[in-house]
Amino acid sequence: MDKKSSHSNSFSLSNDRFSVIFLIVPALIFCTVFIFIPAFWVIIGSFYSFGLTSLNDWEWVGLGNYVKAAQDEFFWIALKNNFIIVFASIVLQVGVGTILAAILDRGIPYGKVIFRTIIFTPMVISSVAVSLIWLIIYDPNVGILNAIIKSIGLSPPMRGWLGDPNISIWMVMIVAGWQYTGFMMVLILAGLQGISKEVYDAAEIDGATGVSAFWYITLPMIRNILIIAILITTIGAFKVFEFIYILTQGGPSNATQVLGTYIFLQAFNLLHMGYANALSVVLLIIALILGWLQVQASRRA
Amino acid sequence: MRNFLSRFWTYFFLTFITLSFANSSYAIDIKVWDLSGRSGQTELYEILDKEVKKYNPDINVVLVEYENEAYKTQIQLALNGNDGPDVFFNWFGEDSARLARAGLAMDLTDYKNMEGGYGNFISEAWQNAGAVDGKIYGVAIKAVSKYFYYDPAFFDQHNLSVPTTFNELLDTCRSIRAIDSSIVPWPMGNSERWKLNHVITMLNQRVVGAENSKADYALTASEDELFTNPKYVEAWQKVVDLQDAGCFNDAPNATHPDLTRSMFASQISPMMYCGTWCGNIFSSEGFEDFKMFRFPRVEGGADDGTVGFLVAEGLQVSTKTKYPKEAALVASLSVADDVALADAELRGSLISNPAKIDQMKDASHWFTFYVNDIADKSGHVNVLDVLLEANVSNAYLDMGTEILNRTKTPQEAMDFIRKVALEAKAAM
Repeated sequence: MDKKSSHSNSFSLSNDRFSVIFLIVPALIFCTVFIFIPAFWVIIGSFYSFGLTSLNDWEWVGLGNYVKAAQDEFFWIALKNNFIIVFASIVLQVGVGTILAAILDRGIPYGKVIFRTIIFTPMVISSVAVSLIWLIIYDPNVGILNAIIKSIGLSPPMRGWLGDPNISIWMVMIVAGWQYTGFMMVLILAGLQGISKEVYDAAEIDGATGVSAFWYITLPMIRNILIIAILITTIGAFKVFEFIYILTQGGPSNATQVLGTYIFLQAFNLLHMGYANALSVVLLIIALILGWLQVQASRRA
Repeated sequence: MRNFLSRFWTYFFLTFITLSFANSSYAIDIKVWDLSGRSGQTELYEILDKEVKKYNPDINVVLVEYENEAYKTQIQLALNGNDGPDVFFNWFGEDSARLARAGLAMDLTDYKNMEGGYGNFISEAWQNAGAVDGKIYGVAIKAVSKYFYYDPAFFDQHNLSVPTTFNELLDTCRSIRAIDSSIVPWPMGNSERWKLNHVITMLNQRVVGAENSKADYALTASEDELFTNPKYVEAWQKVVDLQDAGCFNDAPNATHPDLTRSMFASQISPMMYCGTWCGNIFSSEGFEDFKMFRFPRVEGGADDGTVGFLVAEGLQVSTKTKYPKEAALVASLSVADDVALADAELRGSLISNPAKIDQMKDASHWFTFYVNDIADKSGHVNVLDVLLEANVSNAYLDMGTEILNRTKTPQEAMDFIRKVALEAKAAM
C-alpha cells in the first residue's frame, strides 16, 4: 500500500514538475527572446558609441555614456519631468479616483453603473486616439478650450496650451489624468466594496459619519489598494511616451521631454544609439526598483 | 523491378525539368517606400509598374506609404532590419549621404547606363544630386522649392503690393493688421518645428550668404570661427522682427502646419510661405486663384534675392535588397520619360527629366510658375534640417521654437547652436 502510494506520489510529483516546466517554458522563451536578450544587449550597448545607421561599428567608451548623461541638462530635465508626472499622476489619478470611487460607493443612490461606465470609458480608448482628440481641444486656433476660455471673458495663453514651456507639461498631465482616473477609480471602488457595511454602522454609533468616516474608516481599510494604485501610477508615469510624443514631441524646447521621448530622440533622430542605451539602462534601473516595491506592496496587500 | 526503376527515374526527371522551368519565371516584388498624403501617387506608381514591366515583366512594384514624420524614423530602422524596402524615398543632402556612408544605400553608379538606367533619362547635374564622394547613391526624381503664396484679390482690394524686400514684407504685415487686426497675415504652424526652420534657412541665405555659411554648415570652419559670424544673430533677429510686425498668429509653436495651409486655402489669411507641394493642396481644398512671389531679399544682405530654396528628392536602393539589379531598374525608371511626365501631371512634381514636359496636359498656373522661376534663379540653397549634421540641425530646430516663444534672444540662440556645433565637430 505504502509502496503503491509512494509510487503514485512520485508519479504525481514528476507529473506536477512536468506541468510546471511545460507551463513556464513558453513564457520563459518569450521573455528571454523579447526581454532578457534585448535588455542584455542594451546594457552591453550602453558601454559603446554607435549609431542607428552604423550598427556594425561599435566603439568602446566605457562609462562615457553615463558620464555624458550626468552632464546633459536635457537628461535632467527629462528625469525631472518624469518625477513631476509621477507626483501629478498620483494626485490626479489616484486622488481624484479615490474621491470618485467614494462618491460612487456611498455618495449617490442611483446611476452608479452609468457614472462608473462613463468615467471608465476613456480607459478603453487608445492613448494615441486620446492624445489626438486633446490635440484638437488644445489647438490655439480652432480648439474648444480656447473658445470656452474666451467665452467667459478670459484670455488663453498667448503661446498656446501646448506651446508654452511653463504650462505644457501640466496640460499633458490633464490628458493622462483624463484617461487613467477611471481605471484608478474602478480599482479603488473594488477595494471599497470589500469593506463591510457593519464597520460603517459601528463607526456611526461612535459618531463617525461622512468625511470623518471616509478619513478614519475608509482610507485605512483600503491602504494596501492605494499603495498598489500609487505604484501602478508611478511605473506608468516613468514609462510615459505616447502622450508626450503625440501632443508635444518633447517640446516646446524640451520643456515636456521625459526619459522615454528623450531616449527616442537620441536613438532615432540624433542617431546616438549607445547613449540612448545608457539612458534606457537608467530607466530600467528605476523601473526595476519600482517593480520590486510593487511586488512588496502586493504581498502586503 | 527493373521496369519500376526505369519508370521512377523517368518521372523523376520529368518532374525535375517541369519544376525547373516553372521556377525560371517567377514574380519579383520590389517594395518601394514613399511618403503618403500626395494626391495622384497611387496612379503614378501604377504607371511606373507598367513601365518596369516593359523591361522585365516579372517585376511587381509594390508601393508602401508612410506619413512624413513617421517615415524619417521608420526608414532608418527598416534599413537595418531584414524586412525593409528594396527602394525608398529620401531627401538628397545629409539624409541620403549618411545612409550611403553607413553602407545602407546601394551604389548605383554601375547601373547608370544599363538598359533602362537613369543615365538615359536625367542630366549629369541631376545625377550628381544623388552623389556622395563621386559615386551615385540615389536617383533624383524631382525637387521641391518654397514660395510665398498670396491672395491677389485681397491684395488688390486693399491696394497692397507684392513685397520685394524684407522691410516691405514687414510693412505688408503691418498693413494687413491695420486693415483688420484679427487677420493673420502669414500663418505660422511650427508645432513640428520644421516650418520656421525653412524660414531661417532662407534668412541665413539672404543675410549671411552661401559663401559665408558654407564652412559653418559643413563644420569645417575652425573652432574659433564656427558659427561666430554676427550675421547669424541678425538672421534670427529678422524672425523677431516678423513677429513684432504682427506677421504670425499667436501660439505658432502650438499650431499644426496643416492648419495654416487650410487658413490660406480658405482665404482666412492672405499670405503664406509654403512648398511647391502646396499648390496642389490649395487647389484640392478649392482655392486656385493664388499667386506666388520669392522670399524677398534683405536690405544690406549677402544675396540679391535670386538664390532660392531647393531640395532634391528621389529614390535610393537598400543594400539589403535581394534583387539589386531589379531594384536599380525600378529606381531608374522612376525618371523614365513617361513616368516623369505622369509625375508632373499627377503629383505636380518639379521633375528631373523634362523630355516630355511639352506634352503635359493642363499644366496648372502654379506649376508653370515654379518651372520658370527655378530656371531663372541664380543658385539654390538646401534646407537646414536636411543639410546640417543631426545635432546641429536639432539645435536649429529647437532654437526656432525658443525664438518664437521669446524664451531665448537671437544671441542666446546662436550661442547654443555654436556650443552644439563645437561638440559635433569634436565628435567627427
